[in-house]
Order: sequence, then C-alpha cells, then structure tokens
Amino acid sequence: MAALLPGIETCPLCGDRFDAAGQGCRPSCPMAKGCRVVCCPSCGYSFPQEAGLAGGLRRLLHRLKRDRDVRSDSP
Amino acid sequence: MTPPAPAAASARAGELDKKQVVAANRAIILVGNPNVGKSALFGALTGKYVTVSNYPGTTVEVTRGSATIEGRPWHVMDTPGTNNLVPMSEDEQVTRDILFTERGYAAVQVCDAKNLRRGLLLATQLAEAEIPFTLALNMADEAASRGIRVDVERLSRELGVDVVPTVAVQRQGLAALQQRIDAGGRASPFRPRYDAPLEAALAEITPLMPSGGIGQRALAVMALVGDESLRPHLAAHVSEADLARIDAIRRSVAARYPESLRFVVARQRLAAADRLHDAVVTRGGASGASGFARKLGNWSTHPVWGIPILALVLYAAYEFVGVLGAGTLVDFLETTVFEGYVVPWVTAAVRFLAPDGRVESFLVGPPGDDYLQHDGLLVGKYGVVSMGLSYGIAIVLPIVTTFFIAFSALEDSGYLPRLAVMLNKVFKRMGLNGKAVLPMVLGLGCDTMATMTARIMETRKERVIVTLLLALGVPCSAQMAVIFAMTAKLPFAATVWFGVTVVAVIFLVGWLAAKVLPGRGSDFLLELPPLRVPQAGNIAVKTLARIEWYLREALPLFVVGTLILYLLDRFGGLSLLERVAAPLVVGVLNLPKEAAAAFILGFLRRDYAAAGLFLLYEPFMDAGTLTRSMQIEVVVALVTITLFIPCIANFFMILKERGWKTGVAMTAFIVPFAFAVGAVVNQLMRWLY
Repeated sequence: MAALLPGIETCPLCGDRFDAAGQGCRPSCPMAKGCRVVCCPSCGYSFPQEAGLAGGLRRLLHRLKRDRDVRSDSP
Repeated sequence: MTPPAPAAASARAGELDKKQVVAANRAIILVGNPNVGKSALFGALTGKYVTVSNYPGTTVEVTRGSATIEGRPWHVMDTPGTNNLVPMSEDEQVTRDILFTERGYAAVQVCDAKNLRRGLLLATQLAEAEIPFTLALNMADEAASRGIRVDVERLSRELGVDVVPTVAVQRQGLAALQQRIDAGGRASPFRPRYDAPLEAALAEITPLMPSGGIGQRALAVMALVGDESLRPHLAAHVSEADLARIDAIRRSVAARYPESLRFVVARQRLAAADRLHDAVVTRGGASGASGFARKLGNWSTHPVWGIPILALVLYAAYEFVGVLGAGTLVDFLETTVFEGYVVPWVTAAVRFLAPDGRVESFLVGPPGDDYLQHDGLLVGKYGVVSMGLSYGIAIVLPIVTTFFIAFSALEDSGYLPRLAVMLNKVFKRMGLNGKAVLPMVLGLGCDTMATMTARIMETRKERVIVTLLLALGVPCSAQMAVIFAMTAKLPFAATVWFGVTVVAVIFLVGWLAAKVLPGRGSDFLLELPPLRVPQAGNIAVKTLARIEWYLREALPLFVVGTLILYLLDRFGGLSLLERVAAPLVVGVLNLPKEAAAAFILGFLRRDYAAAGLFLLYEPFMDAGTLTRSMQIEVVVALVTITLFIPCIANFFMILKERGWKTGVAMTAFIVPFAFAVGAVVNQLMRWLY
C-alpha cells in the first residue's frame, strides 16, 4: 500500500487542495509499498508528496519567509 | 418542483432520499466543485454523527447528517463534487440527479473564494436550472491573504441570491449562513446568454420540454448538447415527434460548429461566468497576473503563436537537460567521481577489510586487472557498484535531476495546462483531447505514474489509447536522460531520424487506434491558472521531492538488474541468451551481440537498457570515432528500446488499470512492433542516411 503522509495537499497543476488520505498509488503496482505519489481527485495529476528532505526544505523556506515578514513588519 | 426521473443513476433514488431526507420536512443539500470545503461545512453544520451510503445503483458515496438551525431539525446531505450539471462522470450524475430528484430543499452552493471562476460556472447552471440556492464563499480568509477581494454585495445583486463569506474549518460565517438557510434560498434570475444560433435553437426546444420542474431552459440546453443521461426522462415526458424534432434541431445546429455542442455551450457559459467574475473580483498588485503575463498566457494557447513558444521551451529544456545534465554533469560524475574515486575506494576498502584472496577476488576481482575485464560482484564488468550504482547515480541521476528542475519550473509557471489547450486539436486526430497532454507530459517523468493518471480521460477508448501510447512511445525521465546523453553526441541528422520516427509512430498508432478501437471521444474543460514566474523555492522543493522518489523507486531496480546480469554472466546464461537473440538483434537490427543483454534487461527498466547502450558506444562518442554504421546502430537501438514496454512496474500497472486481456494484448502488440520498427528504420537509414 502507498505510504502517504496525512495532511492537505495542493495540486501543482489545477491548484486544488485536498486530503491526501486515500489518494495514493494503486496497490497493484509492485513499487506501491512506500510510494508517496498522490493523485489529485480533481484533475487526476500525480505528484510525489513533499516528505523527507523536500518536506524539511519546504519548512525551512516557510520559516525564513515568516522571519523576513516579521522583520519587515517591525518598526 | 416536479422532478424528472433521475437520469441513469437509479430509479430507486427517490425512495431512499424521501426516507432519509425529505421525511424531516427540511433538508439542506450541499453542492459545489470538488475540494472547496463542502465536507468541512457539512461537519460544521452537522457535528460528527453522520451516515455514509452509496447512492442507489452506483458506487458513489453520499454523506447524510442532522443539524439544528433556529431550534428546528434539518437533514443535511453532502453531494459529490461536481463542475457541471451536464454530467461527465458518475459522481457528477449523482449530484445532478439528487438536485433534480429532491423536493423543497434548501440548496447551498459551496465555492472556493480564491477560485471563484470555477464556482461561478456551477452557479450559472444552478441559476439556469431555477434551483433556489444560497452561495457560501468558503475559504474567504485564504482568498483575502492572497490579495483576492470579492465584492459580496455586488455578487449577490448580480446573481440575485444570498452570498455569505465563510471559513468552514473555523466555523466563521456559519451563523449568518444558517440564518439565510432558514429564511429560504432564492432562485437566481441570472441567465447565461449564448450566441444567436444556440439561442434560436433553445427558443425552439424550450417549449417542448416538460414544465413544472427543473427550468425548461436548462432541460433544453441539456437536450441540445445531447446529454444521454437525460434521454430516459425525455422519452417518458416528450412525444416521439417532438423528440425527433429536437434531434433534427440539434443536428442542424451542430453542423454550424467545428467542435461538439457540449464544448461550445460550456465555452460560452464560461465566458458569462468570466464576465461576472471580472465584475466582482479584484486582486492585490502582488498576486494578480500582470498585463504581459496575461498576454503571454493567451499566446501560449494560440494554435499559431503557441508553436514558437513551445519550440523555445523545448530548446531551453534541451540545452539545460541534454547539454548541461547529459554532457557536463554525467562526464563529471562518471569519470571524475565514480571512475576516479568511488570504484578505487571500494576496491581498496575490500582489499583492506577482506584480504583473503578468494573473497577479495569474488568481490572486486584479482589485483592489477582492469575491472571492466573481470566479474567481481561489487567492482567488475557487471559489478553492483561499478555498473548498478554507476548507471543509477552517475549516468541517469544528473540528467533526471536537470529534467526534474526543468519540469518543476514548467509546472510552477502554469504552462502545462496551456500546452493541453494548444494541443487539443492535434490530440483530437488520435481520438483524444488536450487533456491527454497531462498523462503524456507526466509520462516524461514516469510512465507508471502517468498510466494511473490516464483515469482522468472520460471514456474507456481514450484511456486505452493513452495507456498504449504511454507504454509504446513516451520515454520516462530516466530513459530520456540517456537518450539526451546519446543524441547530444550524434550528428543532428541522426537525432532527427530518431525524433521523427518516434513522433511519427506515436501519431500513426494513435490515429489507427482511434479508427480501430470502438467507443467515443470526449471534450474537456480545464481551468487555466495565471502564468507566473516560477519561484526558486518551489522548484527546489519539487525537484527534491521527485529526486527522493526516483532514488527510492529506481535505484533498487538498477541494483537488482545488475545482479541478474551478474548471475547470467557467471553461469553462462548471458552468452546463451545472446546466441538466442542474435538472429533478431544481430541479424535483423544489425546491432552488436552485446546489445542483446540490454534488450533482455530492458523489460526490468527501459532506461537500464538505454544506459547499457550508452556505455557500449560512449568510448567512440567521446573519441569522435563513431562511424556512420555505428550512428545507425545507435538510432536503431534507441528507437527499439523507446518503443519497448517501459518497465515491469508499468506492465503491472497496465494489467491493473486496463484489465489483463487489454494489458496482455498491448504487450503482445508492442514487443514485436518495437523490433519491426527498429528493423524498418535500420533498412531505411542504410539506404537514405
């Protein structure tokens, strides 16, 4: 079975936000175990979840952006 | 409201719905596009006690619950997300049937405030159907944070219904929405206007439609576009003579347009929704698309101006992936890193840790011998490190990485959906529509993933054609990496031979499949996001996610493939297979006998085979001594490998998605066909090249 991380995903193609639960790869695929490819329920586009290093990089970028916003807001 | 019988979903729908919903006297039906927060609003209205059941006669789930509003009990029903009341899927048909079957309900259309255009497209259809509704502008906070301002008063005035901004997950706006629901929704007087021929046809058909239920004009539109799911209802309420007249009107109007009437009506309705959208939505400077971006976006979907833009995109991708990735980075990783450091280090480490002669010889070969001449398990001509990891990391990974960067940039820019629109007419020739671009482009990343995505095609015929073309001619990123690496070192004419052959085969097979396979095609609607400059952070994160996925999926198979080759070589199986395959590989394709091993393992991963071919010819390419005969061999080998079944994972996915009969039939066609095309190209090139 697919090993998806729970959470809300945003489709990079149509921009829809959806719950990742149940949107994983088909178990028939021999590579499905551990697979983190999700399929957008709206347009069908498939993409890998941002987990592991990519997830870490995304969090880092968010933190940097937030810090920058806080600095620019402060007098 | 006298409902028409539910179209095809079920004649039993009324029984179940009356029992569970109408019996409470007051019912709320939530309707909206997919993923706009309907379920969140349903949860906010009802609490946690809900029932989920299949809509009768279908596998589509409908969720029901209870709510108390102003001290009175209500039943609440959450319908499947829909974009269209002229259904294009079972989900959409169930929603349409619920709306048409129920009586006296309060409909609430939930829409995404930051993606209002799509919501308004549905709202115009509810208005046309004369269904009273209240519009919940959900995710209002996210829209505001993106600089999107919706003039709620004006929207309410234009549509003639109540509009309530909500944030369902935080229960914001819930009280106001409940008040509007309790007061009862209003039928919107808004009517999308169509062009003169359509309006004339509607004027003729509308009086023939059954009255007293769903708006006659909405039924007339559905009849005009040929909505098959409505046919039983019309057959029950309209005389045969009138049905024949409707068909005659429909045929006469359809002859005036190059596209189907369903597409024409949808496009004109979308234009009406666009005008409404532009009147009520303003965007902050930072988030709105600039004038130039808007123009560029329009040019990129234009049938003429879109072509130079596409050529520019392909050229930039080739320079970045083919020259930088396949040239500079592969040279560095293969020669400097692997041959210069990794292989000597692993060899030295094994000789240090396992000085015993037999173990040492088994793992890294006898001291002093060139590793390409012996059969060490870790370092040898079929060694796990010197071949498996070298293929996966030194040859394929740098090219895949540059491809993923280019792909992520295209994805983040919003260009991909525009490509789908531009190529719609081309794909029509192959019995498909522009939507097929998405699995095809995705296939350039991974054919297995793309085969799953073929589900977005509406009809079985389209899904089969897309699956066949993916398996036949769309190289995945890893294989394309090696193709780029090899064609970059071939003369331009040889590259053209390869490119033209594969593209011609895809179009020819697609065109023939469209003629031979039974079934019908369909039209598509795709929302175009604004064209924007790709964000470096987004590209980095997306690329990293894809590289992680590639390493997790492909690298183990490279190691397994090398081990199989190692065992075959060790026990004489390889030379046996080479002898068996020789008549085909050497005799028909005129390739060296070593290429047989690449073809045999090509089934494990097509790119593995391509990487094997790359290594076979790399010394000649680097030295600039590739003869004309070798150039032909490279093109023939690349064409044959490209037309092969992509990999074993893809084969299983085809069996699962299309069924074993179709899957086996495809494989039985593809394998001999790949060799046949290779043989034809070989003969043609020897005459003409």
